[in-house]
Amino acid sequence: MFNRNFSVSRLPGFGAVAVFTFVMLYLPIIILVTFSFNAGVSQAQWEGFSLQWYQAAFQNDQVRDVSIRSLWLALAASGFATVLSTLAALGTTRVGRFPGQTMIYALINQPLMVPEIVTGVALLILVAFLKVQTGYTGMGYLVAAHTAFCIPFAYLPIRARLETMDITLEKAAADLYADHWQAFRYITLPLLVPGILAGFMLGFVISLDTVVITEFVKSAGQDTLPTYMLGQLRRTITPEMNAIATLFLALSLCIVTAFFVITRKRGT
Amino acid sequence: MGSTGAGVSEPTETGTVEIVIRDLSKIFGQGAAAFHALSDIDLEIRTGEFFTLLGPSGCGKTTLLRVIAGFEQPSTGSLGINGKEVAGLGPNARPVNTVFQNYALFPHMTVAQNIGFGLKMQGRPRSEVEATTDEMLRLVKMEAMAERKPSEISGGQQQRVALARALAPRPRVLLLDEPLSALDLKLRKEMQGELKRLQTETGITFIFVTHDQEEALTMSDRIAVMSAGRILQLGSPHEIYHAPSERFVADFIGDTNFLDLPVASVDGSQATVTLPGGKETAARLPQGYLPVLGETVTTVIRPEQAQTVAPGQGDMDGVVENAVFFGTDTHVHLRLDDGQPFILRRQNIAEAREPAPGTRLGLTLSPGALRVLKG
Ligand SMILES: Nc1ncnc2c1ncn2[C@@H]1O[C@H](COP(=O)(O)OP(=O)(O)OP(=O)(O)O)[C@@H](O)[C@H]1O
Ligand SMILES: [Mg+2]
Repeated sequence: MFNRNFSVSRLPGFGAVAVFTFVMLYLPIIILVTFSFNAGVSQAQWEGFSLQWYQAAFQNDQVRDVSIRSLWLALAASGFATVLSTLAALGTTRVGRFPGQTMIYALINQPLMVPEIVTGVALLILVAFLKVQTGYTGMGYLVAAHTAFCIPFAYLPIRARLETMDITLEKAAADLYADHWQAFRYITLPLLVPGILAGFMLGFVISLDTVVITEFVKSAGQDTLPTYMLGQLRRTITPEMNAIATLFLALSLCIVTAFFVITRKRGT
Repeated sequence: MGSTGAGVSEPTETGTVEIVIRDLSKIFGQGAAAFHALSDIDLEIRTGEFFTLLGPSGCGKTTLLRVIAGFEQPSTGSLGINGKEVAGLGPNARPVNTVFQNYALFPHMTVAQNIGFGLKMQGRPRSEVEATTDEMLRLVKMEAMAERKPSEISGGQQQRVALARALAPRPRVLLLDEPLSALDLKLRKEMQGELKRLQTETGITFIFVTHDQEEALTMSDRIAVMSAGRILQLGSPHEIYHAPSERFVADFIGDTNFLDLPVASVDGSQATVTLPGGKETAARLPQGYLPVLGETVTTVIRPEQAQTVAPGQGDMDGVVENAVFFGTDTHVHLRLDDGQPFILRRQNIAEAREPAPGTRLGLTLSPGALRVLKG
């Protein structure tokens, strides 16, 4: 166990390391956000405050299109992933032990360990094959790929919540004449809601964020916000990108904050 | 679905049998790892009685309760509730409700919603659910807290809500697994009285689990003493206390003196045994047990069933080893002439001094108190 009197903060150099870490973490972001409000084009010289780059971003039809695509893709993918994860979590915690249970648990979590680029290449090959075979080139591939990618992220908080839930509550419901469905509907599900929301939001952020998977799976005209930004940055870096990135950051922050608020409440 | 209609109890007549258990066993695991949690359970529980399962930790009390509730299925044997075989049915199909040891109140529902849950699941009309919930709130004196969440009430109040929730659907049988063990002593005494009152008022059969022998003695109509998955003795608190069928029961309930004494003569249900010091006295024999003359049998007598007299004046003598003052009474530890220990409980009616170690005392045994245990 830890010695209560021992404190890492007393080690020599602790302050310097801490400051350095925070600077490395947040300085680039601070610069990005700052220059999104720059009146000039420069990324290095401050020329006064202005919202013009935000205005430009909002007026850019392409930006609007890819943002909307990103949002509904994230919504659909994390929605499907949450439903599937909830079922998977129930199947791995609320039924009797069955052979292969541990393996299934591992299989659900495994995508977290597989490098994204490997998943991306694998999907590229599969999707290319399917596109040729079926002739379908719509958004279905992206939705499916994002859903699959989001499942382990959505699964973790839902399963955690189910595992810490007092199982005698469901027994008590059964004792009070609830059938399986009623026990789930009135007891398990309401108590699981924070876990489901957390899973959904985690999946949402992951889908919104992923570049590699989208890059490999998308057809022409299916850019999401991140792949669009990547494409733009290959050409010129304009402060308009800073503005878009800042908005993106703000959205992610809101979701992550909501995630913390919801998971904090789970203790009660 | 929810409208199984289970749990409706008709007016109960006493003397009828509510639960019949025959040759029931419960085995956990298989093969070499098989564990007999319950063996050869034969039991009839009467309608409207306060029935207690008493035994040390791990003896199978909870398991038996879970089998009756339907959370576990028996490995062998039959289980009938109100004349209907229920082995194989789930808990939601049995007219039985449980008060869980940790209460298991639904944290996301108010007190009132918790109490009304069973009725709602049975598909009772809303007006009936509300009326019964109000009645139950009154019964357990929780009207003022109806809209609170379980996390906003005290442990004793949670206990009451758990009780009201289990009683609301009017089950035929209420199962209580050590419902008072989490409460402090004072609240516990209070709830003991409360439970007894609720049981009398509702007329519902209570099956109560405890490992506290005093609680069992004060509350029960009948007690089943269990050990290692078996029922050792079944009887009224009086029978269990005064006529224990075997050493384990005598030892588990209250303080007891065990005296090994030779049999001088046998006459029907009585034997005459020779006490240390040579005097003879009568000892009751258990049913169906006839010791041989001269055989040494184990007898029991409770510490309060002997009185002190002058040395040589009583049935036997003993030398005081020490005396412990308990307030209402004093426990005197004696050594009898043949070396066997004997504990005497002397009520402190007068403000007498405890006898000093080494004092020689005479002991008179209450007539009929000495009992022979089955070999
Ligand atoms: N699901 C199970 N699998 C295997 N063994 C079990 C299981 N449930 C109970 N047992 C065993 O059965 C025995 C009886 O358990 P039970 O819970 O009925 O005891 P108890 O009399 O209620 O004890 P306590 O007073 O400690 O609550 C114990 O030895 C326990 O380990
Ligand atoms: Mg128990």
